[in-house]
Amino acid sequence: MVMKCEEMWREISNYIDGEVSPALKLAMDQHLAGCRQCQSVLDGARNVVHLYGDEKAFALPANFYPQLHNGLVDRVEGPRGRGTAWILGIAAAILLTATVLVAGVRDRGTPQLRAAMARPAIERIKAMVVVADDTKVFHVAGCEYIHGQPHTMSADEAVHEGYTPCVRCLHELYEQSARNLALRDNDVASKDPAMDID
Amino acid sequence: MQTGTKLSRPAEAESTAAPSREAEYALIERILQGEKELFYQLVRPYERRVYVMAFAVLRNEADAQDASQDALFKAFKHLSQFRSEARFSTWLIQVTLNEARMRLRKNHLEIMRPIDEIEQDDGSYTPRDFTDWREIPSEALERKQVREMLVKALASLAEKYREVFVLRDVQHMSTEEAAEVLGISPGAVKTRLLRARLMLRDFLAPGLNGAWASPSTLPKGTKPWS
Repeated sequence: MVMKCEEMWREISNYIDGEVSPALKLAMDQHLAGCRQCQSVLDGARNVVHLYGDEKAFALPANFYPQLHNGLVDRVEGPRGRGTAWILGIAAAILLTATVLVAGVRDRGTPQLRAAMARPAIERIKAMVVVADDTKVFHVAGCEYIHGQPHTMSADEAVHEGYTPCVRCLHELYEQSARNLALRDNDVASKDPAMDID
Repeated sequence: MQTGTKLSRPAEAESTAAPSREAEYALIERILQGEKELFYQLVRPYERRVYVMAFAVLRNEADAQDASQDALFKAFKHLSQFRSEARFSTWLIQVTLNEARMRLRKNHLEIMRPIDEIEQDDGSYTPRDFTDWREIPSEALERKQVREMLVKALASLAEKYREVFVLRDVQHMSTEEAAEVLGISPGAVKTRLLRARLMLRDFLAPGLNGAWASPSTLPKGTKPWS
């Protein structure tokens, strides 16, 4: 089998890869033995395969591994990163809530005024008082100066209807109000003071 | 479960030997079950190959580096789509090739494709240079100039030849694997590989006469076979 150079070139890649039949290989070997040009083509192609097949043929960019590694970890670990942000968000919300609560507690924990007279009137007028028909005065229950038919009503109702406090039992009224205030302060965490007024 | 410290590695580390298929599948299974830190261990033996594949398509170091990272991350995201009948390395290189091609299209670099791109794969190619080649020792690759010439020669090939050549002669894939990655027939792989090898040979042949030491031997923009 006599081969032409063109036929050789067409099969030269398969020859290098050992993918030609024994008969074709024999014919190619015979041709190569007498053809310097085809031998040059074969040697050159072999060198190409040899050189590019070497790992050293392609130098990696400087810092390739660290950059690839860091970038990849950042992205693969992305959910963790997002999780961290989520946790930080929750933490911020908790901190804000805690601040509000502490501020509220501190507000409610403001020291009471020492003088009973200086306490908010609103605390006093919530107490239940007794009024009588004879005068427009309201008393603490049990005041010895109650005359006439007694009626019970809240202090604010009494004030609203034009009653004034009995100067004799006014002190007792303050004391009663102070006791109510103390009871409410003990329950401050679960009760809204505004609700007590309603 | 392994911790993040498993991910650390020396900067100059070279690729390590790929584990057996069974070990690789077991690793993939664990990653899919949540041990995502193991992914780096899975791809470590293929990092260089991923980069070279991306570089072969993009012909630019920075783009290839970005594409490598994107490809690896896509492989991580779509790991569940990996089918165990294929080799993981083949699948990974396919993902890399797709990523690099996508970047190439995005950059509109395809308009700069060499004219060879549109030629038919008829298997015919006439060598232009018949310089006597001696065997070039691997030590020649220690020289930066030689490596640059190899890169330049590869970059001069049309994309379809570059891809086949890199898969077969750089990635050392079989004809069938390369055909699978590229979605072409094994016959087309062989034809393109032949042309790629001969074109590279023609490009590099002048270097045998000492031209690699003289940058001016090949005028810019010319090819030995044109």
